[in-house]
Order: sequence, then structure tokens, then C-alpha cells
Amino acid sequence: MSLEEFKNRNVGEQSYRMLDLEHTPETGLGKFGQVAKRTVKGELFVGLWVTLREMKNALFGGKMHTIKYPLEKLPISPRYRAIHDMLRLLESGHYRCIGCGLCEKICISDCIKMDTRYDENQRKEVSEYTINFGRCIFCGYCAEVCPELAIVHGGRYETASEQRASFSLFEDMLTPIDALKQQKEFDGFGAVSPNADENIKKTPLAY
Amino acid sequence: MSISIKINGKDCEGVAGDTILNIARANDIYIPTMCYLTKVAPIASCRMCVVAVEGVEGMILSCQEKAINGAIITTSTPEIEKQRKNIMKLYDVNHPLECGVCDKSGECDLQNKTMEFEVDKQTFTAKEQHRPVQDWGFISYDPSLCIMCEKCVRVCTEIVGDNVLAISSGGYNSTIINTKLDEDCSNCGECMSVCPVGALVSTDFKYSSNAWELNKIPASCSHCSSACQLSYEVKADSIFNNEKKIYRVTNNYEFSSLCGAGRFGFDYANNNVTKDEIAFDNAVEAFKKADTIRFSATITNEEALILQNIKEKYDINLVCDEARGYQKFLNEFNSITGKSLYSGNLENISKSQGIIVLGSRINDDNPMVKYHITMASRRKRARVIYMHPMEDYSMKEIITQFIKYEVGSEEGVTALLARTLINSDDENIKNYLDDLDIGNLSAESNIGEEELADLSKSLNRKSGFSLVIGSDLYNHPQAKNIAKLLGLIEIHTNFEVLIVPPATNALGVSLICDLSDEVNGYTIGYNTEGDFVLSALGNTDLDIPALNQQEGTFTTVDKRVVPTNVGLEYHGYVLNDIANALGLNNKYTIDYTPHLPIKNGYKSIKFDELPDYFDSIGNEHRGYLLDIVNHEQNLDLDEISTLPTYDGSVIYNCNKGTQFSAFTNKSEYLSNETVLKGSSQFATVAKLKDKDKIKFTLNGVNYERVFKIDTLMKGTIAINPTFDMGLSSTLVSSYRFSQPKLEKMDS
Repeated sequence: MSLEEFKNRNVGEQSYRMLDLEHTPETGLGKFGQVAKRTVKGELFVGLWVTLREMKNALFGGKMHTIKYPLEKLPISPRYRAIHDMLRLLESGHYRCIGCGLCEKICISDCIKMDTRYDENQRKEVSEYTINFGRCIFCGYCAEVCPELAIVHGGRYETASEQRASFSLFEDMLTPIDALKQQKEFDGFGAVSPNADENIKKTPLAY
Repeated sequence: MSISIKINGKDCEGVAGDTILNIARANDIYIPTMCYLTKVAPIASCRMCVVAVEGVEGMILSCQEKAINGAIITTSTPEIEKQRKNIMKLYDVNHPLECGVCDKSGECDLQNKTMEFEVDKQTFTAKEQHRPVQDWGFISYDPSLCIMCEKCVRVCTEIVGDNVLAISSGGYNSTIINTKLDEDCSNCGECMSVCPVGALVSTDFKYSSNAWELNKIPASCSHCSSACQLSYEVKADSIFNNEKKIYRVTNNYEFSSLCGAGRFGFDYANNNVTKDEIAFDNAVEAFKKADTIRFSATITNEEALILQNIKEKYDINLVCDEARGYQKFLNEFNSITGKSLYSGNLENISKSQGIIVLGSRINDDNPMVKYHITMASRRKRARVIYMHPMEDYSMKEIITQFIKYEVGSEEGVTALLARTLINSDDENIKNYLDDLDIGNLSAESNIGEEELADLSKSLNRKSGFSLVIGSDLYNHPQAKNIAKLLGLIEIHTNFEVLIVPPATNALGVSLICDLSDEVNGYTIGYNTEGDFVLSALGNTDLDIPALNQQEGTFTTVDKRVVPTNVGLEYHGYVLNDIANALGLNNKYTIDYTPHLPIKNGYKSIKFDELPDYFDSIGNEHRGYLLDIVNHEQNLDLDEISTLPTYDGSVIYNCNKGTQFSAFTNKSEYLSNETVLKGSSQFATVAKLKDKDKIKFTLNGVNYERVFKIDTLMKGTIAINPTFDMGLSSTLVSSYRFSQPKLEKMDS
């Protein structure tokens, strides 16, 4: 059907086809006759066949559609904003966070807190870091403001907990060192844009 | 002479000699600067402050160019803006992009100006150098962040007078160097406070907090009588402990300064105190039966007034060992001058061309006075005459004449000084001074007549004179007559006398409280020893808040009443609660502020109405200046008595460097070395060896000290610190020089 035809609302001009409906029985016997006829005719199996076919495919053909949550989970978009992850540098394995405090500053629900100190290697070390997930509204500002792509949103979206407030420490969110190879680069808010190279203004070098 | 110039079309008034920048700032016209620091002479290294003057070719540096009457000035033209942007680009060459971790981020001049001039790309380049971070003790220096504005060097030489920092110039390789890494500098941290970038930062504070997270609480320093302006910067202790903690102290470095004790000795609060009702009831009972309240002068004016009110209501003696001698001294001085206060002040010292310091190791007693003497020395080429029995090595850069006198001969010294300085027609005074037995006084005090002749000659053709009087004199046996002689100098010469209070609020206590000499009966100790002790040092009968946990006012050496605010919350009882339980009804301690005695110069101004700021050209608007009230004049003078002699080894009570009291001792950042320091000559006379353990008793306090030979010292006087004696450290009521029996202890 073309769009024009579809939009034509004038009854009678379209090529409508009337359904061939049976006459509705009016007597008791007639009604009984209709029920008996439909029961014996096997029309039920026409519909049931689809179910049976899918059941066969699921059980024996390996084409199950049901996700066995929580044993199975659907993949989510990289832009989904779930529980934060703290990423590590791929080269050294050191955590990326430099303790600049911008996430703490920008957080509109005031749920990020951090302590920093001067460490033995003359670096700024993040000695303590918490996010209060009882307050976090998952707005994504922290990931967006982070200059080092250190704090990002991960895929852990199950945030229900037994306590009203539940805190995460730095270590809880940090990529485990043995899982460094599986660490994925974040594509969501705050990530480097695909054309980032074109936008870089180069600084002249003296050597 | 007043002049009038036009800046950006606005008519501006100024005084002849004012720079263009100063007139602009006074009229709220913005001229960007990078290296300009109001409190030192113009450095003129950044060239950001260039302006165009009509009829003058080229650009003019507004920071150092004096305004000419009728000049028409434009602060911003496309050409100037282009220049400024290029300067900013040059500052940004190779400046590490580590704002994320830099302590200065958020309050950084370079960051602000880079944004202001929209430097979003770099066209200049320079070869990167290897410049490692240097640790200078209290301060660390990161040369790669340094923009060579020279502010630090200037404050170090021009204000502090330590001459520690210098420039190692070499074009792009220039750095700031610390020339006294082996010796101590005075650890004042002034260089760090004026640094516009993160090149000089506090080693202790480094990387512990971002500037914007800290809550600034304006206050006054409580360690000495200068009560300098400062801000406590507080934040929660850690993410697990929400109690506030002072992270650092900053000040309005553009116009005022701080010493090391003020800047680094801030962690003396009385923490973890709760309302202990039993102890409170005991305290109220103790006050009811007390005969004497003994207190230290490390106290606010309001607390002093509360104590005075309690005294009046219950007829209790008030004893303040630190302030009593000072109070008497000031009263004698006033009886001659007929005024309620001395005339000197810090600003006038910095503008004087002739300064005499008498009876004080001023660098240790009151660093701010020393800073102002340094300013005078650097800017006005002032003659600085330092009169003391001991040479002070830390003052050697600014002293032009050192007059050494014998211990105990201060009365004679003052008389000689009066005779040298006073040139009066008044018959009585003339006769009195002429009758002095100069030969004898000279011989006894060991001051040669030629020294005094030199002094008098060197002050010829100078203008602006200050006489700084220190705490050696207040408890001198002849203090009364010394004070009178000084009074004569005040009224008969153009010397302005500054009588430096010996403790934080000794001046306030002297003006507010009626003090008694003797402790008798049941004694309450308020931050000092007693039968019932209330103290902010902790572990006493009742805890009270330290001065950074209180609001109130101090009376400073500058005769100014300055407000201070609550840096850290205090959860226990305060003196006002006790006063209320005793029937004095005022809800808050600061309700007493308008009731400070008007007859002694205080004003009836509510605490919340006291201003606390510096205006755009640096005029101080902190609290108010005391009114000078006329006193009864009494020109009776006493004969000079026989001068006492102190032969052999002498001990001088003096807290060195950044230590002032038991409170600075509580600070973990300040060095708290407590040794008896003397020269090898002292060791010979006292029959001591280096590292000998000795004990002795002064003013009823037992001291146990290790003796150490200091090679920079001379003579037979050793320096004994008192700050580590806790509650007893304020019980110093006698002449500062003494000859206690030194007993050797077995080590």
C-alpha cells in the first residue's frame, strides 16, 4: 500500500476486503454445533504448532531466547551509566587517577570524597577514595570531567543493596591487576572523541 | 601634594610620588600584573603592567612610574593587549601541565592570567631543562614551575631580612637558589606565601588538599603581640573523620606578612573535648572559693574582661605574671608622657631612618617588629642601633651599630641614651640630665662615650625615629625609673617609642585588668599553674578552648584591637559558661566586646561590626585603633641607683625563632629544640662541657636542660628557652637575665 493510499480515509474508495465471517448461531443447538465443530477440526494446533516449533528449537536446536538473569546478562551500551570503574594505565599497571579532585568538585550530589598525600615517589597519591552510591545519581559528570579517563562508568547496574547508603572504595572499583588485559577503553561520556587527533593544537618543540 | 590624572577617561586623585598602578588600584581600575607585590619595591620584571601615556612614546611600566599631574593614561589598547598576551605565552613556555596535581591550582596567578588572556595555543618554544624538585625543609621548591617573578627573593631580603634566597641568573636557565641550606633560615614561609605559582609550597601541606576545598576562616595570630592577620584553612580531617582540621594558614600576603610560628604553628587546638559537667561544677565551685586567679596573657580581651568582672564581683586577686611588669612599666611611662599609650607603631618603624632597639632580642621576641626594621633598613637606609648585652647573629645584616652593655645596667643605659638624645630647654630636665654621673654610668654599663657620640652623629640629618623597647626592661629591678626616662625621650625628642608587649595580649590585659603582684590563698590557674587549673593545653581540671577555637579580640603592639574567629569548633565549656554560672549574664563571650573599658581607649563597637580587611591599596581595616586618652602627668624622676653587677655566667630567658609559648610547642611542625645554648666562653666560666646535663631553678620553675655550645654566640650569657614548660612557661615574672645555680646532673 502506498503512503497516499494509506492516508486516504474516505471509506469506500479503498480496496478493502470484507472478512468471510460465518453466520453467528442463534439457537442453543447451533451454538453447540459450532463448538463441537471447532473442537474436532484441530484449529488449536495451527497456533500451538508455532509454540511447539520454538520449543523444539530452544531445547534441541540451541536457539533459546530467554536470558537466564542473573546467570546471564544482556550486553549494554557503552554510554550506559552504571557503577563506576577505576581504570589503570595499560603500560605500567599503575592506576590512572592523579588525585586532581575534579570529580569531587563537580559531583552535584556531593557523593565523591577523596584524600590525597605526597608519597615517597614525589607523586600525589590518592590515599582514600569513596563514592556513596546511596547518593550518586549516575549523572556521569565525574567521568566526563576526569582529565585522565581514570573514573568511568562500568557495566555493573545492579545497585540495589540491603543498606540505604552503600559506599565503594577505590579498590572496589579499580581494575584488578590480573584483569588488566581485559580492561576495556571507555566509550561513553568524557571519552576521547573519534576525531580527537584533528583537534589537537601542536606545540612547537625546540628540539 | 595632591595630583589629578585621567585613567581610561576617569578622573583619579592621588598624591605626588604615587605610582600610576597605585592610583589606578585606589580607583578600582584594573591593570594586570604578574610580578608586582605591593609590600615590596616594584620588581618590574614581568612588563604586564604597561600602559600608554598620551604624549609619551612607547609603553610605560605603571608599577614603577610615578604619576605626573594631568597625565592622560590608557590601560588597554590593542597593541598593549597583544604585548600582554605574548608575555603570557612566554610565561607558559614549558610550564608543566600538571595543574591536576599542583597545590596552587585554583588560586594560581599563572592559571588565572592564562585564562584571562585566552592563551589557547603556544607559538614560542624553548628547550626543556632537567630541574629536579628541591627540599628546603619547611618548603619545597620545584624550579620547573617557577616563573622567575622574584617576589620570593624580594620578601626574603626586603621584609624578612634573612637574605636566604637569591637568583642564579642564566637566561632561560635562571632559578631561585637557597644560599643558606646548611644554616637555618628563620622558616617564616614568606617566600612560599607570595609565590604566584606552585613553585614554592609547604612540604607538609603538599598534595594534601586542593585550594578550593578549604574553608578560609579569617583570624588573628595568637602567638605574639603583633596578632597578624591570617586565615585558617579548614576541611574535614579525612573521609572517615568529619572533624574539621586546619590544613594550613594563609594570609593577605599582598599587604601583610607572617612569621614561621604564625604560618606553621597552627595545630595547637584543644581537640576531642566534650562537656564534662562534673569538671564544670568543680570549676564553678573553685571560682566561688578562690582567692586568686592566675592567668597567662595568651588570652582574648573578652576573657580578660570576664576575669576582671569576676574579680570585681567576688573580690578575687588577679595575677598575670607575663603582663604585670609590663602594666607597671606602661603606667610609669604614661605618668611622664601624660598619654595612655606610647606613640610608636609598626608602620612608622618601617618608615623611620633612625631606629634604636633597646632591651630586646627582637628577632625572637617579636619577628614582626624585626620585619619592619628590615623594611626601614632596606628602603630608607635606616640607621639601626641595637643595644643589648648579647649580639644577635640573625640581625647582623640590618644592624648598623651594635652597642653592648653590661647585664643589669639598663637603667644607666637608658639614662645615657636620654642624655644623648634629649635636647630640651626645660630647666628641670636639663639639670637632671646634667647631674648624671656620666663617667660612672659609662663605666658600669660599659658603653663608651664615643659610642654614644657615634650614635648621635649617625642620626644627624635623618628624619623619622623609632625607639623599640623590649621585655628585658619590664621586670628590671629599676623598671620604674627606666620607664620614666623613656617617657622623657618620648616627649622631648622626635623618637616614637614602641613598648613591645611581652606576650600575645599583654597590652590588652594591662589595659583591662587590675592586676595584683602576689599570689595568695586558693588559686585558679587559667592556662597556668594553680590549685585548680583550666587550660587549653589539655589534661587539666577543666579544658578550655585554645585561641584558634575562640572568637574575640586581641590588643596588638600596634595599639589596634583586632578580631579573631573560630577556626575549629570547640565542644566543651568556655570561660563565659563559668561566668554565667557565677551570675554574669552574657550569652556569648563576644557580647563583652563593646564593654571593653572606654576609659583606657577601647571603643564601644560590637564584635560583629568590627571590620577585618585590607583595602585595594593595602590600608589596614582590622578592628579599630585604640584611642589615646590623656593621663595625669607626673614629672618626678628618681636618682639613678647603683647599677647591679652580674659577674660570671648569666642565663637569659628567651624563646628562639618560631617558638613563643606552650602553644607553639604543641605544634608538631615547628622545631622544638630545648637546649641551653651558650658560647664556649660561657662553658668555661660556668665550668660546663658540650652536652652536659644540668638543672636549675628560675621563678620557682625547675629546668632540666642539656647544654650546647653555639659557635655563633659570644660572651658569658646563655639562652634558656621557656616555651616547653607547659603551664609553668608563663611564670616568668622576673628580670630576664639571672644567675641561678647550675647543678650538673649525671647523664
